[in-house]
Amino acid sequence: MSALLELTNVEVAYHHVATAILGVSLRVPARSIVALLGTNGAGKTTTLRAVSGFLGADNARVVDGRISFLGQLINGRPPHELCRRGLVLAPERDKVFETLTVHENLRALVPGRRDGVAGTPVTIDQVLHYFPILADRRRQLAGYLSGGERQMLALATALLCQPAVLLVDELSLGLAPLVVETLMMLVRRLRDELGLAVLLVEQNAGAALEIADHGYVMEHGRIVYDAPARQLMAHADVREFYLGLGERTLRKRYTDVKQYRSRRRWL
Amino acid sequence: MASGSGYFATTYEADLRLVDTPLRWSALCALVIALTALPLLASPFVLELVTQTALAAVGALALNILTGLAGQISLGHAGFIAAGAFTTAMLVEAGWGSPLATIPSAAVVGAALGVAVGIPALRLKGLYLALGTLAMHYVVLYAAGELQTRWGSNTGYTIPPPRLFGLVLKGTLSWYYALVFIAAVVLLVSVNLTRSRAGRAFMAIRDREIAAASVGIHVARYKVLAFVTSSVITAVAGALFAYYRGFVSVEAFSLFLAVEYIAMVTIGGLGSALGAVLGAAFVTLLPYAIDGVVGRLELPGGTEYYLFPAKFGAFGLLMAAFLIFEPEGLVGIWRRVRNWFALWPFRRRPLRSAS
Amino acid sequence: MTQVLATTLVVASLYALLGAGYVLVYRASRVLNLAQGDLLTLGGYLLFAVTATVGAVPAVAVPLAVALSALTGFVIYQVLIRPMAGHPVFAAVLVTVTLGILLRAGIVLVFADRIRHPLPMLGWSNPPVALPGGSVLSAFDLATLGTAVVVFGALFAFLRFSPVGIQMRAAGERALLASQRGINFQFVFALAWALAALCGGLAGMLYACNVRLEPSLDVLGLKAFAVALVGGLDSLAGVIPAALIVAGIEVLSVRYGDPLLSDVSPFLCLLAMLLIRPWGLLGTREELDRV
Repeated sequence: MSALLELTNVEVAYHHVATAILGVSLRVPARSIVALLGTNGAGKTTTLRAVSGFLGADNARVVDGRISFLGQLINGRPPHELCRRGLVLAPERDKVFETLTVHENLRALVPGRRDGVAGTPVTIDQVLHYFPILADRRRQLAGYLSGGERQMLALATALLCQPAVLLVDELSLGLAPLVVETLMMLVRRLRDELGLAVLLVEQNAGAALEIADHGYVMEHGRIVYDAPARQLMAHADVREFYLGLGERTLRKRYTDVKQYRSRRRWL
Repeated sequence: MASGSGYFATTYEADLRLVDTPLRWSALCALVIALTALPLLASPFVLELVTQTALAAVGALALNILTGLAGQISLGHAGFIAAGAFTTAMLVEAGWGSPLATIPSAAVVGAALGVAVGIPALRLKGLYLALGTLAMHYVVLYAAGELQTRWGSNTGYTIPPPRLFGLVLKGTLSWYYALVFIAAVVLLVSVNLTRSRAGRAFMAIRDREIAAASVGIHVARYKVLAFVTSSVITAVAGALFAYYRGFVSVEAFSLFLAVEYIAMVTIGGLGSALGAVLGAAFVTLLPYAIDGVVGRLELPGGTEYYLFPAKFGAFGLLMAAFLIFEPEGLVGIWRRVRNWFALWPFRRRPLRSAS
Repeated sequence: MTQVLATTLVVASLYALLGAGYVLVYRASRVLNLAQGDLLTLGGYLLFAVTATVGAVPAVAVPLAVALSALTGFVIYQVLIRPMAGHPVFAAVLVTVTLGILLRAGIVLVFADRIRHPLPMLGWSNPPVALPGGSVLSAFDLATLGTAVVVFGALFAFLRFSPVGIQMRAAGERALLASQRGINFQFVFALAWALAALCGGLAGMLYACNVRLEPSLDVLGLKAFAVALVGGLDSLAGVIPAALIVAGIEVLSVRYGDPLLSDVSPFLCLLAMLLIRPWGLLGTREELDRV
């Protein structure tokens, strides 16, 4: 099955001199959830920025590689154009318009790709059906919503843009575990009922792998491992470093860590 | 003063030195010799230009201390100059025309005004500070206008040339040496300020006020100090302005004067003393350059008609061009040229941005 | 007394139109457009130029001049403001100052530094109108008042209810998020500038017909920026009480005090406001931290 979103050997450099990500290739097929995992500084956000088109703010550029969406090259296209084509981002910070009410937030966007390609049109009522809390808070200023409600509003507005591929940046950031679980279940529902393709960038690897179909692990700007989610969850190193489920029950001592360093497990 | 070419300071003293390499020493000596010998080589017109540049540079350096170093945007510079000039005028009217009386008094008045503006300014930041100083400008000018209509001549005050210890400061040559010397002193003060405790506090406040406060810098005190330092120097510049022009009237201190000084520091390069001087030279010499260009072109209807709006318009155009295309100003251009030579054959500076 | 009231309302209308321009621009570009006064002057001269070309046909001349005003605002955004996107606020304010300089220079170069009166050229007159209570206003005084009311009503409705208006508010708050939601914020901001230039231009045309037209009218704009600040730079609703207060103080100081004082009274109001309540009457306090 051809991928809706495909990155091939992408390299991004800041200020012409500092390479942030190198040789990154990943694909998001239709009707699937792909997780992109990694610790802070691994390059996940840079990858997402390269795709969604706002690298320029940080004096960064895509130096090499192809990013294609629905078969067309989209290197460096501005965000609003991508949104209209169906590639929608739910950002990590600044997710909602705080001085507008919930209702105005839902209206303040430009839906509609005219090309009729994959992606189900969604109405405001359908969206409120998925996020019933927002219906209760219609007249409230978005700045006064709680963290979980804000994330829901962010997802709702992203849905209203009729995405073919939805990019979600750090869904679980700052949210209680129960809320994270609810939201992840919701994302899975969206994939099942609307046929959405989702690229989930997450630090909370456990929650992400629960719902993902496929996963990529990034370290130091490169993809070091990719596999279907089941396989990832069973991999010893992923279990130890990203899921916190190591075999040892005691804290590692310095000598143990030093031993690990020389072992070079990934390759 | 790293330039990315592999020159590093290895001791604190070396880092703090104002002039650190032999090349810089020679350049400085050459400059001093050139300035001293200029009257022998150049025409009085050129000397006049340099004198005016020096006078403008004093004000520009003062504004650079406030806006470039301490980050407090001020659109009220013309008000401070007017304060110094009017103090001089009033003292001359009262019969105390000696520079020994007027210049310190101008400094005191400037300091008082600096405190009067600086303390309320503590509450304001950024755009609001700029607008507050703009409003203050109008208030000061109103006070000066009232003063002019009620006390002294309605059309303005005439200022005789200053007398000091029997010497009279009159004529191009004397003014040239006097103002270039004063400008050099102010430049030295300004550059020295950047390596002093107060200067570092200013720069910290400019960059991140909250972080500066959390490191123990008394933000309020240093902000007011910045205002006062700048206003004292500016008021003295205003007094010199009064003596140099020989005439003081409130129309000379319009908002355009403040805009000119802001243009000097911005076009020259914000935050750099060299930038203030370059900007002062640029803004002072520009009208003469345009005069030359407009004079060469043959415009119908007499050139005088087109002169004023042309100067005005060209000034605006150049300022906009610098703001859009060259935000670091003339100093930025100078640094790029210098770095190109210093770094060759490498093309790019390492990522840590330096001077 | 009623005359004072009536004059205050007229002066307030003029300031309100200019103040609306300041607020619209601030909401979009986070900068105070110090050239708003020159946009007022430009509006008057556009009316003059269009009338001189088209003749005494007000039904054509006036809409054309208004449209040209709006177009100027659009162009100004694309050419001068858009390139300044990443630069500090200080630099953006300076660009508006240079814009003012350029407009002023251009006007003097094209139209010469003389006083003009477009009203007779349009074939209209400005008779005095007696009002209840013994006060007298000219016809164009009333027109200014009426225009301000209509413009404000239209702006409120636009920003509150129309999709483009909501997008303008959204983009003014967070341009990046707006872009990610499909809003072409560059276009929306250009539209905001066009509306601001339109308000300023309308004020200029009304003043030119009511009083006179000369290149130095930009001082009105400077006094009006005090209105925008007193009301709250990001609050369109705040412009109304602020305009009334500032206009009231100015008219009273002309009547009972020193005429020179009336020129500086808006700035005294401004300074007082900055000391007591910097974010203005109806502005949002958080705005202060954003600058």
